[in-house]
Amino acid sequence: MTAKVTQTAFVSRFGAAIFIIGKILRFAFFLMFLLILGSKTHRVADYSIFQIIFVFATFNIVDTTSQFFLREVYRFRYYVVSGEFDYFLTKPLSPLIRSLFGGSDILDLPILLLSVVFIVYSASQIGNISSPFVFLYIALLINALAIALAMHILVLGIGVMTTEIDHTIMIYRDITQMGRLPVDIYREPLSWILTFIIPVGIMITIPAKSFFGILSPQLVVLSLFISAIFLIASIRFWHFALKNYTSVSS
Amino acid sequence: MKKYILIIKNVWSEMTTYRLNFALWRLRVNLQLLTMYFLWLAIIPTSGQFGSYNQSLMLTYILGGALLSTVIISSRSYGVGDHITQGDLSNYLIRPINYFAFWFAQDLGDKAMNISFAIFELTALFLILKPPFFIQTDPTFLILAAICAFVAVFLYFFLNFLIGLVGFWSPEVWAPRFIFIILITFFAGGLFPLDILPAPLYEIFKYLPFTYLIYFPLKVYLGQLYLQQILQGIATAAIWVLILYLIVKFVWNRGLKLYTAYGR
Repeated sequence: MTAKVTQTAFVSRFGAAIFIIGKILRFAFFLMFLLILGSKTHRVADYSIFQIIFVFATFNIVDTTSQFFLREVYRFRYYVVSGEFDYFLTKPLSPLIRSLFGGSDILDLPILLLSVVFIVYSASQIGNISSPFVFLYIALLINALAIALAMHILVLGIGVMTTEIDHTIMIYRDITQMGRLPVDIYREPLSWILTFIIPVGIMITIPAKSFFGILSPQLVVLSLFISAIFLIASIRFWHFALKNYTSVSS
Repeated sequence: MKKYILIIKNVWSEMTTYRLNFALWRLRVNLQLLTMYFLWLAIIPTSGQFGSYNQSLMLTYILGGALLSTVIISSRSYGVGDHITQGDLSNYLIRPINYFAFWFAQDLGDKAMNISFAIFELTALFLILKPPFFIQTDPTFLILAAICAFVAVFLYFFLNFLIGLVGFWSPEVWAPRFIFIILITFFAGGLFPLDILPAPLYEIFKYLPFTYLIYFPLKVYLGQLYLQQILQGIATAAIWVLILYLIVKFVWNRGLKLYTAYGR
């Protein structure tokens, strides 16, 4: 299925090339913005410019990885509106798995690689890297992807009930954009809301802070707990939405 | 003229029909605004300075930019490309209607709806956030800023229309638009004032049309430019409007010769 979607993405080489260039430009322009900030302020809140770049690259890893694997969610509205979703329900594959992982977006791969390069580069500039912190960072990144997965399941559930997908998923993306910078630079209560209610901070800032070695063990535990709650709640909501699915489009 | 007023009314009817869609769109716009607002609030402390901006001027720039984006950037003419690639253009070519005026009327309807909501939302944000807003009291700057915004509406219309005309040559109309949106996001000055960029880069930007969409009208509003600089800027923007109009006309005529109503 993934191979088929990849082939489709490259049917129009012109389109694929333009999209890849666009994504790289977006990455580069925001990076340029951060560098300008760094050149004028040297520090943003308590973070050095390389720490800020590290957070930005971490945001891109989480955002792009979830888009890479979960791109099918963006097409889900069509399946519900056209009635094609009914076929998902009749097949011997979980409709949730089909709706989540039915297609990847290979065009996100260059940004993924670019993000890794910037993580390595900014980490080398920050210095003081220790193995336990690197492992903790990777573990919390996986935790962040679990939250991203929960958010996508929630969007699918809303889609089943209301057919509204396009804006819901983009609202999720808009909110996560706030995580391009460490969420604790924002004022309270926004910072708290972005950490515990809409867990952008847990997805991006907390893994980065674990890498910097400035994260308390309590927050690590709390992050894992919150992601577990989100994942369980989203799966339950999905089942609730399925029970209320009326199949009116088919 | 009546038919174009009817088109504007139709846009309103369409937007009020899909209310949830529009409400979620407005929510997204406000989230993006709040992201930039809180970011700059964090970067510039109350008594701090960033380039030629103190906190009050920067927050005024960001909130004013949100309102101006609604006036200038919100549009419907992104649909030109789809009309061409899906063959719907034929329906309009045979009607007694000017295709450019049709889209301009659609844009006006869209802008009017968005402006009415933006005024309400920004008022609410002002009451909640109580930002240190800079209010320009000199009528000269206010009038000149309004003129700049007026020119910017045409500038954006022709830029947007031109991107849509790619449809005559390629079915991939969304890929070039993706790049266009990214360029507009960063180079029109909606996220940050362009004069915080390094000086050589900013000098180049002065000659690009994007600069005159959001950054320049706001800079005039803030009263940070001399009269001569403002007049030069308005002249540059007006020249860009003329150049883009001529390019659009040329590309449109060339495209029509290739148009095969494919899809119909």
